[in-house]
Amino acid sequence: MRLETYPSTVQRGLGWERVRAALGRLDLLLVVVLLMAVLTALQPRFFLTRENLTNVARQISSNAVLALGQFVVVATAGIDLSVGSVMGLCMTVLALLVKAGWPAVLSLPAAVLLGAAVGAANGLALTRLHLPHPFIATLATLNVARGATYLLSGGVPISGLTPEVRWLGSADVVLFEGSRLATSLPVSFLVVVALYGAVAGFMRKTPTGRHIYAVGGSPRAAQYAGIDVARLLVLVYVLCGAMAGVAGVLLAGRVNSAYPTAGLGAELDSIAAVIIGGASFFGGRGTPGGVFLGAVVMGLVRNGLNLMNVSVFWQQVLIGLIILLAVYVDVLRRRSTQMEL
Amino acid sequence: MRRRFSVLAVLGACLLLALAVASTEAGPGSYTILLSMKGPGSGNPFWAAVERGARDAARGLGVNLVVLAPPAETDVQAQIAQIEDQIAKRVNAIVVAPTDVSALNTTFDKARARKIPVLFVDTDGTWPHKVTFIGTDNRAGGALAGRFLCEQLKGRGEVAIITGVMTTQSIRARVEGAREAMRKCGLQVVAELPANSDRALGQQVMEDILTSKPNVKGVFAANDLMALGAAEAVKARGKTGQVLLVGFDAIPEAAQAILRGELAASVAQNPYNMGKFGVESAVKVLRGQSVPKRIDTGTTLVTKRNAAQYAK
Repeated sequence: MRLETYPSTVQRGLGWERVRAALGRLDLLLVVVLLMAVLTALQPRFFLTRENLTNVARQISSNAVLALGQFVVVATAGIDLSVGSVMGLCMTVLALLVKAGWPAVLSLPAAVLLGAAVGAANGLALTRLHLPHPFIATLATLNVARGATYLLSGGVPISGLTPEVRWLGSADVVLFEGSRLATSLPVSFLVVVALYGAVAGFMRKTPTGRHIYAVGGSPRAAQYAGIDVARLLVLVYVLCGAMAGVAGVLLAGRVNSAYPTAGLGAELDSIAAVIIGGASFFGGRGTPGGVFLGAVVMGLVRNGLNLMNVSVFWQQVLIGLIILLAVYVDVLRRRSTQMEL
Repeated sequence: MRRRFSVLAVLGACLLLALAVASTEAGPGSYTILLSMKGPGSGNPFWAAVERGARDAARGLGVNLVVLAPPAETDVQAQIAQIEDQIAKRVNAIVVAPTDVSALNTTFDKARARKIPVLFVDTDGTWPHKVTFIGTDNRAGGALAGRFLCEQLKGRGEVAIITGVMTTQSIRARVEGAREAMRKCGLQVVAELPANSDRALGQQVMEDILTSKPNVKGVFAANDLMALGAAEAVKARGKTGQVLLVGFDAIPEAAQAILRGELAASVAQNPYNMGKFGVESAVKVLRGQSVPKRIDTGTTLVTKRNAAQYAK
């Protein structure tokens, strides 16, 4: 069966079109390049340094992972408001487990599983309790998870994790060691790339992945086509929760601490990255590659403005404008595509 | 297609323009010092005073000052990113009011690796390599407020505490100091409720206290914004003057409320000195001079007697 809701570029895809689909949105890639050019011009001594680019890679990691989970949910025309709180909860539980003497091989998966469990609760509240919109179930878990974080931590940061637990979030690996191409990359960034690759493959190649787009395009049509919509919805929220767990692991490793306010408001950043990345709130559209670029754009804007000592208020204004413009460009693009057809 | 690229060009131009307009490069000078505050000065007079002190000191000493702050006092990640980016720019020293007592330690380790000294102001951190901590003894300030309520109420009756963001060390110390002082003199602390350092929540919490604990005669709020919110609630119940409200920070609006009799007192910190001492101490360190490990900026009880000087 051919699903009309699947991004049409992929079906027509040969060669170039395929590359385009993989990148999500070519225009966004241009914006990234343009942004980097502008920042290089404005901050020639600092922007294109290895130290700064490594900083950016680290800074975007947790938001990029949150956005990836958020994207899978948004592809089903859903939303997950709880990701920031779940990230904070997973960090606190991770730190408590580490303090209780659990080794990294147990405590890290436990944190991710906890995220998945909260995701399952979101999914089941939506499908079994028939709450009218994912906004409600996830708003509830946003509060529950944040409250639980404060209760478990007593409102104080839990610091001092073991090096093994911190490795994912804080370590650097050297690629092509010994050769002239030797570069050191943050492990967290490699985790991000690996996860995006995995999810992109999953969404494109597997029937389940395609069904996610189908459910977003039209849940009723998907149901008539024999897709178990409820099962699929639970799956995407589990996936999103697990991603929040991974984001928590990365952030806890980076700052060597589980602080109870971690992830406060992070859900909005993840949603912004998804939107800038070209996913549609009505579901069925968008690619992980585009979302990745969305997260990169946000990271670059913040980094550039930080380098120029600009107040965070300007950063907020600019990110807001970028959301508007990104979506507007997309609207124009879709209109012109329709005319071309 | 052409239209699409023209839109793109507009997008690019907008970004470029915004970046150019928003850019505020520091002028020439010997040292560049980063002042990283918890919140923006335009949002809170306290941070505005810290910034003013730092700018005055920087002007006097001829150093470049970069002032940055995350959008909210809880936004740890934004502060980390700002400091990291400034480390990449090789500032000479960092004067920081950390949004979390330990979550920024790895960031400070990076500064240390680049031989950039780190000084804490306002909020002390757990980082062991800090040069100094410059700030209010919040516990003593809280005790000052507690003792004031003790005197006013003659050590008898019920009191309540409105706490702020309890993840913040300075707020916890204030609450602990006040609680201890009030218990010692015989006051009964019958409620201790959180209002996240927020004015609207302070008002709401005070409404709840007035409903559930009608005998409360005094309230200590861990910052002025909550105290001012509480004053609104008390006013709405027509109980102004019957419930003594004590805030913390002595922001101008609170000082005016003290003069009007809506608040009984507040505890003044000296944020101007935090910024000033912060920059001065940073320059001392850079010049190889020694700096004490702890610099107290002092607290003063502000009542009707002396509120006028804080009301501007």
